[in-house]
Amino acid sequence: MNKDIVIKLENVWKIYKMGEVEVPALRGLNLEVKRGEFLALMGSSGSGKSTAMNMIGCLDIPTKGRVFLEEHDISKLPESDLAQIRGQKIGFIFQQFNLIATLSALENVALPMIFQNIAKEERVKRAKELLDMVDLGERLDHKPNELSGGQQQRVAIARSLVNNPEVILADEPTGNLDSTSGHKVIDFLKSLHKDEKKTIVMVTHDSDVAKCAQRIEHLYDGQIVKGKKHF
Amino acid sequence: MILDLLKYSISNLWNRKLRTSLTVLSILIGITAVFALVSFGEGINKYVADLSQEMGSDKVMMMPGGGLTNAPGTSNLLFTEEDLEFVRKTNGVSEATGMMITSGKIKFKDFKEKYPYVAGLSTENNEKKLIEEMFAGIKIIDGRSLKKGDALKADLGYAYTIPNKMFKKAISVGDKIEINDVNVEVVGIYEEVGNPGDDSNIYLSKEGYETIFNTNELEYIYIRVAPDKDPSEVAERVKEKFRKRRGQKEGEEDFTVQTFEDTIKSFTSIINILNGVLVLIALISLVVAAVNIMNTMYTSVLERTREIGVMKAIGSRNKQILYVFVIESGILGLVGGALGILLGYGIAKGGQAIARSAGLSFLKPYFPLWLIIGCLLFALLVGAGSGLLPSIQASKQKPVDALRYE
Repeated sequence: MNKDIVIKLENVWKIYKMGEVEVPALRGLNLEVKRGEFLALMGSSGSGKSTAMNMIGCLDIPTKGRVFLEEHDISKLPESDLAQIRGQKIGFIFQQFNLIATLSALENVALPMIFQNIAKEERVKRAKELLDMVDLGERLDHKPNELSGGQQQRVAIARSLVNNPEVILADEPTGNLDSTSGHKVIDFLKSLHKDEKKTIVMVTHDSDVAKCAQRIEHLYDGQIVKGKKHF
Repeated sequence: MILDLLKYSISNLWNRKLRTSLTVLSILIGITAVFALVSFGEGINKYVADLSQEMGSDKVMMMPGGGLTNAPGTSNLLFTEEDLEFVRKTNGVSEATGMMITSGKIKFKDFKEKYPYVAGLSTENNEKKLIEEMFAGIKIIDGRSLKKGDALKADLGYAYTIPNKMFKKAISVGDKIEINDVNVEVVGIYEEVGNPGDDSNIYLSKEGYETIFNTNELEYIYIRVAPDKDPSEVAERVKEKFRKRRGQKEGEEDFTVQTFEDTIKSFTSIINILNGVLVLIALISLVVAAVNIMNTMYTSVLERTREIGVMKAIGSRNKQILYVFVIESGILGLVGGALGILLGYGIAKGGQAIARSAGLSFLKPYFPLWLIIGCLLFALLVGAGSGLLPSIQASKQKPVDALRYE
């Protein structure tokens, strides 16, 4: 496999069983993401973009087909290996921010490092650096409910970067934000791509947001469609 | 890593203070009951062990009828002086003495009369000593003990020195009392035994007893076994010889010979059974606590489904999620256990004070280290154990489903 390809989905099918009925969410999806690329994945609800996101993020394994992260086929791995890969290679940014409510901003950012067995001093140092980077150096001890939506999402961005992952996965990162906060989040993503050379895959249904990416792919009925819009 | 997860678990519990404290309360109650009850059971066992230390294991007791089931003074198959002399001559018996005992009418000044036990003892020093050893080695704490020729003199149990206990006023050395309408002078007071029966005894010399009650028949014969002899063997021999003396068949004796150890054993086994039943009831409350913890943890897992999903997304393995929840339920158990021990200690001490004021000072809790550590470990186990199933459920959640959970 080409060294420049970080993620490759090869004829990926995901079929959900709803009682007796089988519902295919992905129907032979093929996708390649190059190292250092900023890709926007667009699609309406039901297009399969969330399922595709789960595959790329190693949160789920395909019913059929293969998923590669760097050179490794991860489509048959057990959950504990997937967890390890997620922790090291992938940083998640969710629409709902998904911070742990009982932990401070600093603790939230440091949490992924606990699962990688990183020493406490190192964790605190790195988490502080990243919170500084997202302009939240003054809010280390604030709990999520003491922060605005935009601030929470920036904490989440800091958290996603903490283990220095290959890929940042952003699932509708501006979906719950007002436009000012949304722009600030997008600016951070852009600078991560430009200055830190991170590979970013962003799922969105907002074409304005998608425009910030280098490449836009459209999903329709669980497949990539080229050239034209289907929504 | 584990330390970090521990810290995380504690912060989770801290953030749900009300639910945490209610769950802790449920296990606290069980541990309190178990701790207090077992400490009393242990205290009684310790008391008995100390008692046998003080009394020594070289004693054998003879009494009429089938053993200690008869109240003193209710049997008419008593022993005579000749019987006692016969026992003294039995091989293996180092010394023996008899005790006469019956209930007598006691008057002190104009207060309402009482009917405690009055005992008649030998004034020979070695025999007096043998009897005192039988009463846990009690000593005279005021005045003097009875001596030869003390016909109308008495030593009293400790209870008489407490106002409003036996009589409205305390009796002290030099006071006069009436026993069955005969004037008797108090010459000594015994120290406290710890049970109301023995502490209200009145002791007379053999002569005095014979004068007042007009009998010299013995209720008990106490035997000291020769130092190189086995008490049970001597007890058997005395029983056999005495049976032949009375012309009775084996198994049809109208008297009982018991080593002190037998007496202690039958006493402790009754106490232990009683205590065991109570502890069992307390354990049931711990089962309820376990169910409660399980319920709390299931609720918590459900509530935090999304959080579990996030933790998994950012790299937590199933094992680590499992630890977080097991640690949480374990802490619930441990804290409940620790508080339960403190409360149980308080209750046991309170119980001791109540028992003491009722004259039952032998009811004294005892807190060996193993009981404290055992209760803590047990509470931890109940907590962690009942949190196990919910924790497994939490750890097995699929990250995708958990993240989607609303």
